[in-house]
Amino acid sequence: MNTTPHGGEYVPHLREHPAPSRPVRAVGSAAAQTTIRLADEFFYLAHDDQTGRPRLFEFATAHGLAAALLVELYQEGRITFEGRHLWVTNALPPKDWLQHLVLDRLAAEPRHTATRTWLAFLGTTAYEQVATRMWQLGLLRPEQVGRLWRQRVVYVPTDMNTAAWSWARLSFQLRNYQPLNAFDVALAGLASHTGLDPVLLDGTPLAIRASLRQQVERAHPPLRDLLADLGAVVGGAVLSHRTT
Amino acid sequence: MSHTRPDTVSAVLARGRLGIPSVVFFVIAAAAPLTVVAGGATTGYAVTGVTGIPVSYLVVAAVLALFAVGYVAMSRRIVNAGAFYTYVTRGLGRPAGVGAAMIALLAYNAMQIGLYGGAGAVTAQFLNDRYGWQLTWWVCALAVWAIVAVLGVARIDLNGRVLAVVLVAECVVALTFDAIMVTHPADGTVSFDTLAPSHVFAAGIGAALVTAITGFVGFEGTVVFSEETKDPRRTIARATYIAVAVTGVLYGLSAWAMSVATGPDHIVEAARTDGTDLIFNLVSPYLSQSVITVARILFITSLFAALLSFHHTVARYLFALGRERVLPAVFGRTSRRTGAPKVGSLVQSGLALSVLAGYALAGADPIVHLFFWITVTGGLGVLILMTITSAAVIGYFARIGHTEGTWRTLIAPGAATIALAGILTATLREFATLLGIAPDSPLRWTFPTAYAAAALLGITWALLLRTTHPDAYAAIGLGAHSDTGPLRTPDTARQPT
Repeated sequence: MNTTPHGGEYVPHLREHPAPSRPVRAVGSAAAQTTIRLADEFFYLAHDDQTGRPRLFEFATAHGLAAALLVELYQEGRITFEGRHLWVTNALPPKDWLQHLVLDRLAAEPRHTATRTWLAFLGTTAYEQVATRMWQLGLLRPEQVGRLWRQRVVYVPTDMNTAAWSWARLSFQLRNYQPLNAFDVALAGLASHTGLDPVLLDGTPLAIRASLRQQVERAHPPLRDLLADLGAVVGGAVLSHRTT
Repeated sequence: MSHTRPDTVSAVLARGRLGIPSVVFFVIAAAAPLTVVAGGATTGYAVTGVTGIPVSYLVVAAVLALFAVGYVAMSRRIVNAGAFYTYVTRGLGRPAGVGAAMIALLAYNAMQIGLYGGAGAVTAQFLNDRYGWQLTWWVCALAVWAIVAVLGVARIDLNGRVLAVVLVAECVVALTFDAIMVTHPADGTVSFDTLAPSHVFAAGIGAALVTAITGFVGFEGTVVFSEETKDPRRTIARATYIAVAVTGVLYGLSAWAMSVATGPDHIVEAARTDGTDLIFNLVSPYLSQSVITVARILFITSLFAALLSFHHTVARYLFALGRERVLPAVFGRTSRRTGAPKVGSLVQSGLALSVLAGYALAGADPIVHLFFWITVTGGLGVLILMTITSAAVIGYFARIGHTEGTWRTLIAPGAATIALAGILTATLREFATLLGIAPDSPLRWTFPTAYAAAALLGITWALLLRTTHPDAYAAIGLGAHSDTGPLRTPDTARQPT
């Protein structure tokens, strides 16, 4: 399965979505072929695979998705992270419309380089944008839930197996001390820096938690810089929280 | 770099930023004005027997305004710092910082748990008077405790608008009461005796001053919001000064008005007889019963707001310390669904429950032994913290290169340190007066010694960490940023405004 070493080159298929024309009823290992983009995977991870209800608090989900979009651009070779800043290294438009949109914004506002600033900015829109991208691919289906006065839209995964795949894959590999590939290290890093890791590690011994931390710590330095900023942003929100 | 282009990033981030009024509301609500006026000031008169309480509020407001000059100036240079110990760490080093953190944990816990005594007793009495329910104070305290514990884990704060409405109502009630009391003086003449500056040099002033400081605890919270304000340079500074001035005048005025209504010679006696009912009893002949009922309900809601606010403060301290690995890492975890600092919240609730159980079993007086004793002990802890923090501000600005003037970096913090240390000395000397016990009672040393022990424990722990866990030691004082600690130097840049 995923055998790419952490320091190695990315396998091309990890970056590109096979673009299914309609949702595929995947059974068992068939889901393994549906490797999709990082933000989509994080969206799946942060929501229940059947009901689409959130597993993580709103702020962390929004900023985790924002970070995931930045990692997508990093993996596409368009931007890089250095310390607390991010730089556009290649402004060539990516194929994906959302990546294109984000990169455009980054390139258009060179006066802002602080990663934290961009996480905050993208965090305001990332949820809707990623949900829209997934809806356009038929991965999610918007549904109205709640009574009259508390109506809201929940994005329900169209296919439970696809939705559960990222969770199952990460959880299985971590529980068996298997090394994660670069894509999954990024995903696990996003999960652990937003406080979503208990979902992956529920009921596991401490050693597994430690192994997750070690794997994430061995990620590429630019990615670690981004994750550190993500952790600080989410932690800062816990400290200055107030109900509005 | 072209500046003719619109800056959409800043525009988006500026949405929902806080202005001065919001920040003022948040911090004054935590200080709970009606709790201080109806509970703190009256019990202060009763327990300490000192008549200089009104002037103490004004003196303390002035000293805290002085303290705020350097504190706010330093807060501009520290990201996400809502905690005194961050300042102490940056100014006086990491061991002092952990010592301060331990003092803070003890102090804020004391503030919070002590308030349960007030909330329980006042609620029980209200329900008894109004509906004839014969409840003991601890039943009510436990009910309030349960609500706070649930809201704490669910990470529910009081809504900003609700707080604003309640706060304005509290202030209106307090001012109305003051007007009535001042226009109906005891002997027919309005006496300014209790406002005389000579009280500052009278016996028992230490006890009065720390009672006053207890009333202001919470104002230091303005800096928590510095990242979220429209203009961090001005908003926080002004909000802090406004909060100190408004509360100082309100407390001083109300405490003085009570002494006018009873006559300065009888205020202590009246406070001892009526307790927290004093202010309501003094105005009830001149107001309809429904107004008094509303005022009593507001008293209870203000106690509740303060309880919840201090609960969150403790939980966040524990979270920040857990993140830094100063405390076990489990404290740094949050509730997945709500983002609440879950473990910190549960631990605080557990501690409060055990203290409440102890008081209930011992049959101690909820107002004097729990509300007053424990909250003024909390006030003492915050006084210690402010003294150390003030010194830390000087240390910090002496270390870094900066363009601030000497007033903010040396003169004001220096004067504040001296004034606070003076109050601290007077308080420790008169701690027996403060508790209303015999001067040779061993109890007078118990509470101050607890802080010394906590500080010592913190310093020792920091020194141990330095040798055993250098990573954790390096991250001390970084709070939520401790993730980034081992990797790089602390962030000093702010979000664009």
